[in-house]
Amino acid sequence: MANEKKYWKGFDQLANTPVAQKLAQNEFVEEIPVADFLGNQQMMESSQTSRRDFLKYVGFSTAAATLASCESPIVESIPYLIKPENLVPGVPNYYATSYTDGQDFASVLVKTREGRPIKIEPGDKGFFNSGTSARAQASVLSLYDSARLTGPRKGEESSSWSAVESALKQAATKAQEEGKTFVLLTGSVFSPSTKEVIDRVRSAYGNFVHVQYDAASISQKLDAWEALTGARALPSYDVHLANVIVSIGEDFLSGNNGQQLAAAYANRRKPGAEMSRHIQFETSLSMTGSNADKRVKLKPSEQGAALAHLYNKVTGSSVKVGTLSSDVRKSLDSAATELLAAKGASLVLAGGNNGANEHLAAAINAALGNMGTTVRPDRAVYILQGNDRSFANTVADMNAGRVGVLVAWGVNPVYSAPHSGFAQGVKKVDFSLALTDRWDETASVCSVAAPVPHYLESWNDFMPVAGTLTVSQPTITPLFDSKPAQEVLLALIGESTSYKEFLKGNISERGLSVNSVLHDGGAIIGQGNGTSSAAAGAKALAGVAAAADEAAKVKTGAFEIEFYQKAVGAGFQANNPWLHELPDAISRNTWDNYLTVSAADALAMGLINESQSNGAINGSLVKLTVKGRTLENVPVWIQPGQTAKTLGLAIGYGRTKAGKVADNVGVNAFALMSDGATSDVATIELMEGEHEFACTQLGNTMMGRKIVNETTLATFMADASGKSWNEKVEYHTMLGSVTANEASLWLDHDHETMHMWNMSIDLNNCIGCGACVVACSIENNVPVVGKEEVRRSRDMAWLRIDRYYSSDMTEERADAENIGGIEMYASMEVPAESPQVVFQPVMCQHCNHAPCETVCPVVATTHSMEGLNHMTYNRCIGTRYCANNCPYKVRRFNWFNYQANEQFADVNPAQDDLGRMVLNPDVVVRSRGVMEKCSLCIQRIQYAKLEAKKKGSKMEDNAFTTACAQACSTGAFTFGDVNNKDSQIAAVKKEARAYHLLEEVGTQPSVFYQTKVRNQA
Amino acid sequence: MLFLPRFDERCLLAILMKQKKRPVHQISALFVAITLIFSSLGFSAQAAPDVELGKKLFKQNCASCHKLDKKLIGPELGGISQRRSEEWLIQWIKDNAALRASGDADAIALFDEYSGSVMNAFPALSDDDIRSILAYTDAGDQKSAPLAADAAVAPVEEENSPVMLIILGSFLLLFLSLLLRIRNTLKQVQGEKATHLLQDANKFYLWVNSNKRFMTFLTIVLSLWFLQVTYAYLMGIGVEQNYQPQQPIAFSHKVHAGQNKVDCNYCHSSARHSKQSGIPSANVCMNCHMYIDGSEITDSLTGALKYGGDRSPEIAKIYAAIGWDPDKRAYTDGGEQKPIKWVRVHNLPDLAYFNHAQHVTAGGVECQTCHGPVETMDEVYQYSDLTMGWCINCHRETEVKTETNGYYADMHDRLKEKFKGEKITVEKIGGLECGKCHY
Repeated sequence: MANEKKYWKGFDQLANTPVAQKLAQNEFVEEIPVADFLGNQQMMESSQTSRRDFLKYVGFSTAAATLASCESPIVESIPYLIKPENLVPGVPNYYATSYTDGQDFASVLVKTREGRPIKIEPGDKGFFNSGTSARAQASVLSLYDSARLTGPRKGEESSSWSAVESALKQAATKAQEEGKTFVLLTGSVFSPSTKEVIDRVRSAYGNFVHVQYDAASISQKLDAWEALTGARALPSYDVHLANVIVSIGEDFLSGNNGQQLAAAYANRRKPGAEMSRHIQFETSLSMTGSNADKRVKLKPSEQGAALAHLYNKVTGSSVKVGTLSSDVRKSLDSAATELLAAKGASLVLAGGNNGANEHLAAAINAALGNMGTTVRPDRAVYILQGNDRSFANTVADMNAGRVGVLVAWGVNPVYSAPHSGFAQGVKKVDFSLALTDRWDETASVCSVAAPVPHYLESWNDFMPVAGTLTVSQPTITPLFDSKPAQEVLLALIGESTSYKEFLKGNISERGLSVNSVLHDGGAIIGQGNGTSSAAAGAKALAGVAAAADEAAKVKTGAFEIEFYQKAVGAGFQANNPWLHELPDAISRNTWDNYLTVSAADALAMGLINESQSNGAINGSLVKLTVKGRTLENVPVWIQPGQTAKTLGLAIGYGRTKAGKVADNVGVNAFALMSDGATSDVATIELMEGEHEFACTQLGNTMMGRKIVNETTLATFMADASGKSWNEKVEYHTMLGSVTANEASLWLDHDHETMHMWNMSIDLNNCIGCGACVVACSIENNVPVVGKEEVRRSRDMAWLRIDRYYSSDMTEERADAENIGGIEMYASMEVPAESPQVVFQPVMCQHCNHAPCETVCPVVATTHSMEGLNHMTYNRCIGTRYCANNCPYKVRRFNWFNYQANEQFADVNPAQDDLGRMVLNPDVVVRSRGVMEKCSLCIQRIQYAKLEAKKKGSKMEDNAFTTACAQACSTGAFTFGDVNNKDSQIAAVKKEARAYHLLEEVGTQPSVFYQTKVRNQA
Repeated sequence: MLFLPRFDERCLLAILMKQKKRPVHQISALFVAITLIFSSLGFSAQAAPDVELGKKLFKQNCASCHKLDKKLIGPELGGISQRRSEEWLIQWIKDNAALRASGDADAIALFDEYSGSVMNAFPALSDDDIRSILAYTDAGDQKSAPLAADAAVAPVEEENSPVMLIILGSFLLLFLSLLLRIRNTLKQVQGEKATHLLQDANKFYLWVNSNKRFMTFLTIVLSLWFLQVTYAYLMGIGVEQNYQPQQPIAFSHKVHAGQNKVDCNYCHSSARHSKQSGIPSANVCMNCHMYIDGSEITDSLTGALKYGGDRSPEIAKIYAAIGWDPDKRAYTDGGEQKPIKWVRVHNLPDLAYFNHAQHVTAGGVECQTCHGPVETMDEVYQYSDLTMGWCINCHRETEVKTETNGYYADMHDRLKEKFKGEKITVEKIGGLECGKCHY
């Protein structure tokens, strides 16, 4: 029987009002905004095209497109007209050079293909800083940045070099006549030849002043050392000689003080009798603090007091100590005991940019006999030389109208010192010239801006440390109409020589062969600068009381803020998308800076981080005030390990004129800083609204599982077999008890006949820096996807570094306190207030019993006899079954054609012709709808095998390595052929620390890990 | 006097090879070739032996520095016997240094004129040899009149265009309908019943209706055939076997690799070292073409100078590209350089990684295995289909040099044990694994 019931949508329909009648006529209640997505509405309405016609057109054009696509395109091949002698297309050439980006220095090798640099690799001659950080790895893309300045320009109009140079000359002469100064404002200059050029300008112009200015300044530290040694330079720290390292707020593993200490540090982190002990006192949870054996929370204002207290404990004297909590005192007392037990082989480091603190640290080191052993003032590091006082004086001069000419080379004070008065001062300078890489914040206020070449296009020499000379050589013809700043200065004083010849002359004058220096990338020319360590130590001890008094004068407040650096650094390479997409080592956030607060403070102030239905995290916004300067809408990130009543904010973000990638990403922390101080007193106030984070890790703890196997040094030393701390999973089968690596349901692949590639990752050596992640992205053409996609958990990195916090809850504690399962797991999810942190790089584990291989319906992922899990992109139809079946979650799906989709035009470098030049020609660029994942750099494996076959010789163990292993300066990765019995990998595979990730699943991966051992009792 | 180069089997073969792709003209080409062989044999018997020998010797010994009609590195030599005495010339050619040392004024003047460029001594040449050379310099390269055969060869054009076929087809149809009408008329005249196509068709339809089984069978067969044809068509998409694009310079591999036997690796030098075989850069061309400007190229059929003694327009394109002034014999200062845009013949998709060095150096595979008889191709065409099946087949069959290449030293025993006497092919060492070529 038919249902006669009638339902009304509302009273209107029942009463049949005019509104209801109208609604009944219209399919849609509101007018559909057709015009919005189809363009011009008028045109749409006046069009004669019917729906039928439209379908016909679509049909015909589809058919035509299909037919047309069957025709192969004509491909042109354009060879060289005159091929450079040492260049073979398809074979890479390597050049030794020096990486500098205004902040860092590294000795590197540049891999070029067909005359274009495509990869930065660590230097092979062991010169100073022969490792690559994430920034150094990413720097090759900064060369192909389309936001670079292409030629000289005057305001908005383009200009020419001859016009720029003659204007500069005129202005310099005029300034001299008028008695005004001629200021050359640069970053730290540690190039001997550049210094010579500057000296020549100085002798030609009596009114010439050279001012060095660093955005991330350590000026006060340098002042302290200048007082001790007479040289404005930090000493080099021999971390590998230190049995005990106590750092009071210094994030020394990030290399922000100019020195790469990670390699030397990791050298002493191998478990055993020789393992060093690292105690970190710090405010925000830093990468260095995460790696420490013991970490103590400390407010920035307590740093000085902590150092003074430590000094008193070490020497038994009683200099003035500021306020200090009893917990910190206790930890300092035990640290002092450990330091005293390692006299002459210990190291105390002070963080921040504070002269008094630095002096106290020097005094402690002197008292411990570390001067000359772990602290080497004679091997002075010249990488950072900025002087905040002279900068301030110059700005004052500018504002007073005493400066006639300003040449700002490679600096951006309008961005990095917005409250210094620089921007106002420039307007009062008669002629200002920005020698810059882009039309940035500073260049746009100067009267003229002109491009200088990127370091990969430049000739230069450097003295990063006393006794070492390194060189920079071009690896590509300058892409734009740029000119080295040195040549501009030489032209100013009427010398027409090219800087290249000038430089070569200088190298020859030192009695060095130019060719061999260019081949090696540098030369050792001496042993330090002759500074006496003993004298420096004595001076430090003599001035200690004054320093302690000075340190005690620190201001305190309800909230203290610390300014720190992330992968973007001080913002020189802010327009480099790889650095934004690289998750922060600790928070695992991408494309952002944010205010870190402790969980307790967040609770007290009602600040939240909340997971959304799509898994992403939203956070509160606050108004942040420091010294009356305010930043609004600063997102808040609740950070385990953050000291209570302290805040942390990264510099280098919030650019406004760096390019489409960097602009308006994050907030500009420089706007709150003054006089280069890295900490201050702050107030925060909750604001309306939410911030959307793009965090790549949502589970923060291991929930009691053996994901990162961890033990203490004492346990490790007590049981060499590893049975008690690295238990192997066993299955009970009909054949008896077998380990997960022996159990098998099917026939195994043949892995004995040819090579068998394995990788070992030593969790003791991984410090979480992320250089491997960037290197992997470059080597394998991994697309940049941008914040929105990362937020949807669609990040494409083949290699990620998982970071886990410890939780206060453990199974043992639950047992002891009779806590139920649900409650136990709920509290296990919460990281501890002062967590221990572990890092774990995870890439495709290349399972020999691979779950992904068995579920692929089109056999796109298969196993090789060399122990690799192959992924054949062109076979993949995108079912994503493999990703779902992967226990390690390492497979990545191309949701879009990132290289062509307009949505990614602002972030993906492969979208413009220039950015595409960085792509590795040996690796295919994946398209939309296919799965991808780590191949263990199969292109490198195949290349190295072929090289051996061409030579007709066996493959050497060290013939090649993967991109991640190569980029890792701490040697966390070991890669090789386990069928080669003499190989390093075969040896580490047998170590007691070795284990497989999720061993119990029985996937038998080719990648394995080495248990993390902390130097604790 | 008329002379022609000897016409050997290679030329015939070349013609046949070329014609293979156009079977319609095979017979006419064969006819032409046979005619030519006879005619050329007939003519070549009349060639003067001394001039012939002289030409050969000249090409071997003198041509890299001298030409008959213009200055090269040395003076032009056409009619030199009119300018110098034969005796002096013999002395000079045999050992010019000795002649100069003897204080011969002419010799010293000549040496100074060419600013001290030393000419090689040729003690191996006999006086008769030198006389032959001189005879050749007097006679020069004779420009032969175009032969009738030449004209016969030239107009080889494609005629089987679809338009022609359609026109022919419609003529045939018209013809058929005419015949039918005539037949019907004749039938009617004889009193028989005329054939009516429509009625017949109706009958056929009725027959079909009563034989459904047969029709089902026919439908299945036709469907399968259609599917097969479609499949074959679709599988052929992107397969460009026999692709023979026109190149910006009419470079002939037949002349270089075939007739002059230039090693493939001389120009494609990176094939041994790199994944790319490398198209030679123009400076490699100039290694030879600095001296060979094509003015001596003779027509392969007639033997006449192809460009009437002028520079070859094709070689001139290289000069234009690289900025070489052939008259001044120098690179033009700051001259404009225009890269040569060759059209790529062999195109693998980006998703397949192919490495030449792997095959040429490690595998010892001949270029011709994949590229076909390039030394016989005037214009290169794609010889192999370059499909994955083709790659895989070769990997299944090709034996790996495990015995001779030191790379396999460790694996060799393990492989022998595993495959016990079987041929160790590329497949057996993992050469069919997807990730080896797709990454």
